[in-house]
Amino acid sequence: MIQISDIYKSFNVKDKKSRSRMRIEAVRGISLTVKPGEIYGLLGPNGAGKSTTLRMIAGLMLPDAGTIQVCGIDSAKEPERARSTIGYLSTDLSVYNRFTPRELLKLFGEFQGVDAAVAERRGLHLLDRLHMAEFADVKMEGFSGGQKQKVSIARALLHDPKVVIFDEPTTGLDVLTAKTVLDLLGIMKAEGRSVIVSTHVMPMVEAICDRVGIIFEGTLHGDASPREILDRWKVRTLDEVFFQLVADKERGVA
Amino acid sequence: MRGALLIVKKEFMELSKDRKTMFFTFVMPLVLFPLLFGMIGKLGKNDKAERTGRPSRVCVVDDSGALAGVLTGNPKEFQVVERPSGDLKQAIRDQKLEMSLEIEPQAADKQRRQETWSVKAVYDRSDESSALALDRLRKAVASRDKVVVQERLKAMGASTQLAVPTRIEPDDAGGTSRALGKALGSFLPYMVMMMMFAGAMQHGIYATAGEKERGTLLSLLSTSIPRSQIIIGKLLYVFSIGIIVAMINLLSMAFAVTRLVGSEAAAAGQGAQAMPGLGALASPGTLGLTFILMIPLGLFFANFIILAGIQAKNTVEAGTAIMPGMVVVIFLGVFSMAPGIEKMAFLPYVPVVNVSLAIRKLFSQQANYWEYTVALLMTIGLACLMTWLSTRMLRRESAIFKV
Ligand SMILES: Nc1ncnc2c1ncn2[C@@H]1O[C@H](COP(=O)(O)OP(=O)(O)OP(=O)(O)O)[C@@H](O)[C@H]1O
Ligand SMILES: [Mg+2]
Repeated sequence: MIQISDIYKSFNVKDKKSRSRMRIEAVRGISLTVKPGEIYGLLGPNGAGKSTTLRMIAGLMLPDAGTIQVCGIDSAKEPERARSTIGYLSTDLSVYNRFTPRELLKLFGEFQGVDAAVAERRGLHLLDRLHMAEFADVKMEGFSGGQKQKVSIARALLHDPKVVIFDEPTTGLDVLTAKTVLDLLGIMKAEGRSVIVSTHVMPMVEAICDRVGIIFEGTLHGDASPREILDRWKVRTLDEVFFQLVADKERGVA
Repeated sequence: MRGALLIVKKEFMELSKDRKTMFFTFVMPLVLFPLLFGMIGKLGKNDKAERTGRPSRVCVVDDSGALAGVLTGNPKEFQVVERPSGDLKQAIRDQKLEMSLEIEPQAADKQRRQETWSVKAVYDRSDESSALALDRLRKAVASRDKVVVQERLKAMGASTQLAVPTRIEPDDAGGTSRALGKALGSFLPYMVMMMMFAGAMQHGIYATAGEKERGTLLSLLSTSIPRSQIIIGKLLYVFSIGIIVAMINLLSMAFAVTRLVGSEAAAAGQGAQAMPGLGALASPGTLGLTFILMIPLGLFFANFIILAGIQAKNTVEAGTAIMPGMVVVIFLGVFSMAPGIEKMAFLPYVPVVNVSLAIRKLFSQQANYWEYTVALLMTIGLACLMTWLSTRMLRRESAIFKV
């Protein structure tokens, strides 16, 4: 269970040209709930605030305002306890190249307080599902990006997290592997976990997401099933929602 | 603490996977010092052995024959050679011979009349073999003179001891161990500081800014290990590496030095007791107190490295931030080696310097326990302060996510 209410996050960045500080309001008052056994899809153009939102849920960043509860735990007050219920994956996160997948998974099992033998068994099972079993004892230095991503996925799910946060899990994966990951997410849903994913792949959203939130400039537009979203905007694909949002904005500015 | 220990385990596991780094960190110093010292020793020994093992070549003009017995009766030290043709001084400078002696013609008569006669010795002070020849001459003449004087005293019916009215018996209160301890004490803290810092530096950068660069830090932060434990774990790792590297280097150096000095003493026929081993140089108490002091100092260095590494965006930035620290350490080390600084009153209160000062005093057996305690507590305090700062730094989002 994930409950976010009215979170804000802004960054101070330097504008090199005007030499002034700029305030980027990445997230402006987002609220959403992901129930157990539900897959929530976060959509939005580049820089909309998806990753920032997911990082805050994962306890890697603190919101400026608002509260986040993961499995009933306030992630700002008890970040470690909250994180122990979360499996987090993102594209800007990598694996320890010097290890083999088996070594990495055993180690992260220990980090998460999972018994080494249990962690190894569960890790190998996950690798098997991701068609990586034959690489379990190969040093990851020579792995391709997709292979590393798959090991990362196994790492994120190793401790049997109640909440799964995947930031663009299929980026860089071929269609077959992407399908495997989607199937895995389906299993997570069936096992009653709360899953939240961000993506740019619209068909994926339509195929697996129970609810969709479209983030545009830090605010959430539509927080409903894919079907309802399409009906509300009177469009045929989710892509068209994007175009409309941009068009609306330009009209608003003009 | 469990989380911190897990991080230490992870760091050592990562290190163990890198054979080359392991080799250069732990094996290289073991081989380096014996090799280096052995080479220096061999060169020095060969040169010295060649000089002292050879008689000095001397040409003599001695018509009266007053000095004849002294030179020919001592074939191990003197070899009488023909006077070279051409410029005599140039011949000595060219090392064709070591010394030329010219005894005044009336020497034998003068001696009979109990007058002083002189020998003119031409030598080259800048050349060690030539200087040795003069030394040998002085000693040989002195012992000959003693015999002459004693014979004359005897003939006069006086005590032969008149020849030596006073005899000085020197007794070194410091003993060999203290002289060596002092030399070592001013050198050792510097070496230890250098090695602890330099040895830990790269590993510290790899474990902090390197993890950011490789994108692995985020995976650590997403686990349920608290951030303070992650920092403490990395700190312990960098600290252990520093201590281990310093230890290996010290041991290797001690081994090389004792072998070098030992073999030299044996060559000089002094036997093993002439060169006390490192254990005898410093009592176990001294070594223990030094080690205790090295712990907070190592922690302080580890903290500095971690702090610089964790605030940096990448390894290059971390390296450039740590470099000035290295320069300061070198400077402080050289500074604390300088003679006479133990008399500066404020130094015991300057962090890091006071550590090397305390070690130096321990080794020269002048330990001041108040200063020792100040250095110890100050360094511990500083180390704690920096650990706290590093933990705060890792909580800052700008330190984790690139801006
Ligand atoms: N650490 C940071 N420092 C400064 N600005 C940041 C930081 N992280 C994000 N931002 C800014 O916040 C905004 C939202 O970024 P975010 O990464 O959440 O977008 P996103 O929706 O994930 O985009 P993408 O689809 O490209 O991944 C962007 O304008 C970005 O520049
Ligand atoms: Mg993103």
